[in-house]
Amino acid sequence: MTRQEIENEVINVFQREFEIENPDMDADLRETYEFDSIDAIELLLAIETFLETEITQEEKKQAINIRTINQICDYIENIARKRNLLTPA
Amino acid sequence: MERRVVITGMSAITPIGHGRDPIVHSLQDGVSGIKPLRAEEFLSPYIHSKVYGTVDYPVEYDFKRNHRKTMGPVAYYACQVAKEALEQSGLTEEFITSGRLGVAFGSIHGSPTVQRNIYRIFFGATDKKAVREIGAVDYLKSMVHTTAVNITKMFGITGRVISSGTACTTSSQSIGYGYESVKFGMQDAMLCGGADEYDTTTVAVFDNLLACSTAFNETPQKTPRPFDKERDGLVVGEGAGAVLLEEYEFARKRGANILGEVIGFACNNNGGDMILPNLTGITNTLKLGVETARINPDEVDMISAHATATKMGDIIEAQAIHAVFGDHPYVIGLKSYTGHTMAACGAIETIMTLYMMQDGFIAPTLNLEEIDERCTMIRHVQKVMQHPVKTATIQNFAFGGVNTILMIKKFS
Repeated sequence: MTRQEIENEVINVFQREFEIENPDMDADLRETYEFDSIDAIELLLAIETFLETEITQEEKKQAINIRTINQICDYIENIARKRNLLTPA
Repeated sequence: MERRVVITGMSAITPIGHGRDPIVHSLQDGVSGIKPLRAEEFLSPYIHSKVYGTVDYPVEYDFKRNHRKTMGPVAYYACQVAKEALEQSGLTEEFITSGRLGVAFGSIHGSPTVQRNIYRIFFGATDKKAVREIGAVDYLKSMVHTTAVNITKMFGITGRVISSGTACTTSSQSIGYGYESVKFGMQDAMLCGGADEYDTTTVAVFDNLLACSTAFNETPQKTPRPFDKERDGLVVGEGAGAVLLEEYEFARKRGANILGEVIGFACNNNGGDMILPNLTGITNTLKLGVETARINPDEVDMISAHATATKMGDIIEAQAIHAVFGDHPYVIGLKSYTGHTMAACGAIETIMTLYMMQDGFIAPTLNLEEIDERCTMIRHVQKVMQHPVKTATIQNFAFGGVNTILMIKKFS
């Protein structure tokens, strides 16, 4: 799995689950897209499905401060790295 | 402090149509909304009653995803009629979000469709992955006050929330408690109503109690038959109704189009049996309603009876009506058109009554061909009548022994 694949999947999730087309990767999700805590929970489930791994409660709590799609990608990349799922660039 | 309470917006989704024109035409032309029970993989093959008051036409929604994500089918109905009632009222966004508007809205048990999916996962679970299949929003879609709070979220309403879930009196309580909230100055306006979605578990419950109609499965439009000698039980239905109640002086000053006035409401309990209708309890409710409206019983022109078409329910209600109102007011059973729309029935029947007041007609009780001799003491309507209605009651009674009466008046 590469960073690019992570970004592509997150963009797909935003289109499929949240009906947000071509999202700005650095926009504040709450302010720009009315993204809320319910969406965040749905997103975590989508990430688990994508990575085919369970995200621990501790890891989920770390997602609280995420504000942008780029930060979501960083978060996923970090989890993927911890589980040796990341292909080195 | 007691204030006058008027109606400035209303809308309904019913088995006989969505909005004013189709509903009025159906009432005037005697069109029934009872259709064959839809087949599903759960209960429908085993239910004796094969009829349902069905919304069989598409309802167009334009809700944003941000709102849709917490809505089950029942909330779609609720938000649509709420939206239309708000639009008709002409209230500004500034007022709607000011805290001066509250919501009283309910359903009998949230969204059964969503609950079924949760239990499908629950009973099919073989490992811990099953937990993840239960959506984060499933509770928000299925909880008993899902209609009320999806409405507050969609329109930014910040006033009080009342969400009765008292079965067949859900929306009559919504209107009644909304009326009291405005009358006694707790809110300046209340958006009130109820909704229920297509659901066969409700049919199964009444079917098991031998309360559902089963003799007209091949001719759905011939049932239910309130007060008729051949009636054989109720027909469950779906739908939604919303009315916007507003303090009279505020409505007048802003030039609102006033559609009617709520002049009284009463609710009590039989204090005993949860199922059987109770003559003393119902009679007391009707008397209390008249007292709260401060009118004489003979001022009531028309009664929208609960009239579910069960054997005993109709007789007890006829006796109670006769005891309080005599044989003067015209009595109609609107469930003969829609079936029993459960949480929505009080609001839908209120709206239909307001349409009849506005247009000066009284719709007959459908399928009332030969009046049961035990119900003949009241004044039934068997053909559509062009007749003015100035004051009317809407009566609803629920499992648990809950009784309600709403008193409404043509605005003048």
